[in-house]
Amino acid sequence: MSHMTNPLATVEQLYGRSTLNALPPDLQDTIFLGMQSLTQAAGLLLRLPQSVTAQANVVLARYWVTISWPFVDEFSDISAASLFLVAKLSSHPAIPRDLCNVYAYLLSPLSPLFRPASEPSLPSKPDKTLYYLSEAGYNETYARVLALESRILCALSFDTHVALPHGLAVTYLKALDFLDVSPPARLAQRVVAYLNTALLSPQLLYLTHQPSALAVAAIYNAAKDLDAKMPECAWWEVFDVDREELGFLVVGMRSVEGAVRAGREETSAELREGNMITRAGIETEMRKRGMVLGKGASSGGAAAQLTEEDILMRSLDERADQMDS
Amino acid sequence: MASKSRWADTEEDAELVAKQKREKEEKKRLKAEKARKAAEEDQKRIAAAQAQQAQAEQQSQRSPNEPPTKRRRLTPDQDGGDKTEQKGGKDSEGGGSTGESSAKLLRFEAPTWKPTASVENYDKLNDIEEGTYGWVARAKELRSGKVVALKRLKLDESTGGGARAGLPETGLREIQILKDCSHRNIVGLHEVVINEAAATSQNANRKEPIESVFLVLEFVEHDLKSILEDMAEPFLASEVKTLLRQLGEGVAYLHAHWILHRDLKTSNLLLNNRGQLKIADFGMARYVGDPAPPKLTQLVVTLWYRSPELLLGASTYDASVDMWSVGCIFGELLAREPLLQGRNEVDALSKIFELCGVPTEETWPGFRRLPNARSLRLPSSSTAPAALTGSMIRAKFPLLTAAGCQLLNSLLSLDPRNRPSAADMLRHEYFRQDPKPKHEAIKAGQERRRRKETPNAPGRGQKAPASVDFSGIFAGREREERGGGFSLRMI
Repeated sequence: MSHMTNPLATVEQLYGRSTLNALPPDLQDTIFLGMQSLTQAAGLLLRLPQSVTAQANVVLARYWVTISWPFVDEFSDISAASLFLVAKLSSHPAIPRDLCNVYAYLLSPLSPLFRPASEPSLPSKPDKTLYYLSEAGYNETYARVLALESRILCALSFDTHVALPHGLAVTYLKALDFLDVSPPARLAQRVVAYLNTALLSPQLLYLTHQPSALAVAAIYNAAKDLDAKMPECAWWEVFDVDREELGFLVVGMRSVEGAVRAGREETSAELREGNMITRAGIETEMRKRGMVLGKGASSGGAAAQLTEEDILMRSLDERADQMDS
Repeated sequence: MASKSRWADTEEDAELVAKQKREKEEKKRLKAEKARKAAEEDQKRIAAAQAQQAQAEQQSQRSPNEPPTKRRRLTPDQDGGDKTEQKGGKDSEGGGSTGESSAKLLRFEAPTWKPTASVENYDKLNDIEEGTYGWVARAKELRSGKVVALKRLKLDESTGGGARAGLPETGLREIQILKDCSHRNIVGLHEVVINEAAATSQNANRKEPIESVFLVLEFVEHDLKSILEDMAEPFLASEVKTLLRQLGEGVAYLHAHWILHRDLKTSNLLLNNRGQLKIADFGMARYVGDPAPPKLTQLVVTLWYRSPELLLGASTYDASVDMWSVGCIFGELLAREPLLQGRNEVDALSKIFELCGVPTEETWPGFRRLPNARSLRLPSSSTAPAALTGSMIRAKFPLLTAAGCQLLNSLLSLDPRNRPSAADMLRHEYFRQDPKPKHEAIKAGQERRRRKETPNAPGRGQKAPASVDFSGIFAGREREERGGGFSLRMI
């Protein structure tokens, strides 16, 4: 059964991050979207199969719900560590130097990944020193990735199992005779596109639903998009998905595109350093919104205590970072 | 859209569909009306009940037929409310609600993840082994008092370049595979724990490196290798059968789940006091697909259990490498010592050819194309005498039945394609013949000690088929925990 099922997030994990001292939800979504897009881009540049990258996306999402503000690690490192870990366990391991090079490039100002359409395009002769990673830089990055790898494993109690819905979806398409729909493979492509897009969903669909439900919802959406006629009956029940679940997922999957577009536009320049959102960027944004830690919760009680603890930890971290560098 | 699915309308369908649609709408309307009526009625009923209730309370007396007040007050209220809500909800969702959603859907059990616990939850009792395979200790879980085996993962492993590679993927694969497995013949993994400092720092969102990772495994008393070494006499034929069958069932489970063990040997087979065999040590194991991925590492399986194609450098192999090891273990169970004790790769290969015969293009088509076969100097197939290419297995195990011999021969086929799968093996004639596989049975430590003092150990394998038979029949009806003594005669 393990090939068809995933561990799911608990209610506490999903709602745990909306407590008093958590980041505002829009910032959380922006960070998550940034990390997932970065992982996908890195997977492409490392020539990893999508099955590996997608698993890394899911592992990253699982780790994401276990951590909260203030974050100890840089977001890009979390992405790199997830990808490194999953690739290592697959039959397509990523060479550490390649991994660090790819992230150095993607985080450099030359990377087109997070560049808004409004900004000027790349210069014709890009300055390669902008993404050159020295030996020392490589060692540093790699050490951070390794440290994070073990932290991710600890947080997930060493369970790296991810069942992806893609294979199931193809089986379901076959069962529904949808693979013969003309033009061939168009429907299947659309289904896979929906499944891959759902990896970016701020609703964390892969943490709340089993692969069979994701596959059915993607097929439903794709068939609707292409006007392919579906069976009249409640065919999703054949695949053990109930109507309510399907309805939720259909809407959830369709909303990702809008969320991504909105996220891209909202990501102001201050949030980013180079291209990817950073911790420093988030801090600046928080300050701008007047939500600096400790300032917001001036009235006593548990909230204040929590934040005080956080500030202390934060300053310790900062000091440690300073000592490191 | 040009697409035409199987579910698309033909012209004759259209009319039907329209009719159905009309009917459906009618139905829906009726249903909505019904729901409304029901709701109204419910409300009326509730009101009436409440009124009655109040009355009843005022009068403070009940008619004997009526249920107690408490129930009367609660039940209709809830029922009515729920029903109307449900119906309302469904209708308001809109769309062609077919109202036939009574199908029973399979619900998947969904585990969750939580931070790794600390090893301090366990109390070490004694070391079991410390050596090439890492550190294993017997320990007690403080909370439940359960005895477990703690296996420490080696973390100082480094890759070829000498650079640190983080947690070793072999260890992580072992954890993942054991987590995914659940079978009585495969050792169970309870959880994974880490050193205290790392575990506590996890919860506090601080950085603290992991120093050690422990696998908390089901504790199994013996391993087959030390049992074999300590035995005064070989296993009975029936005992060999039951051990081999359990091994086959475990391996069949692994292969059915796309797992190659790649290090099957007697020291990795554990045996508990109830005679249950469990496959352990998945440090070499990995998931494979079909066809198996290319460029798998050839450096797998302990030399004595390594198949000829691996020795010849094949980088594409499949479940048949495990089946070769099963064959070696089968021979070892019979002979009480490892079957093919090669000193190095070359010696191992020559020992294999000594036992199984020199390969020819007929017995193993295409073996010459394997990377290391080029340096191989063999008598050409036309000139080689039949004695050289024939198998010596029959001669080496004179006491083995014909069926047993045939099975061993097929497991030790030079050509991997000729080896049976684990599932095939379990269906083999050998397991149906007399003596039947002896049933696993309780074999407590005390009983074993008593037996040691008794001078007359049971007779050799095939001399006592009758008595063996009886226990087999017996065991068929009883559960595994009962039955006659499982005699692993140990010193």
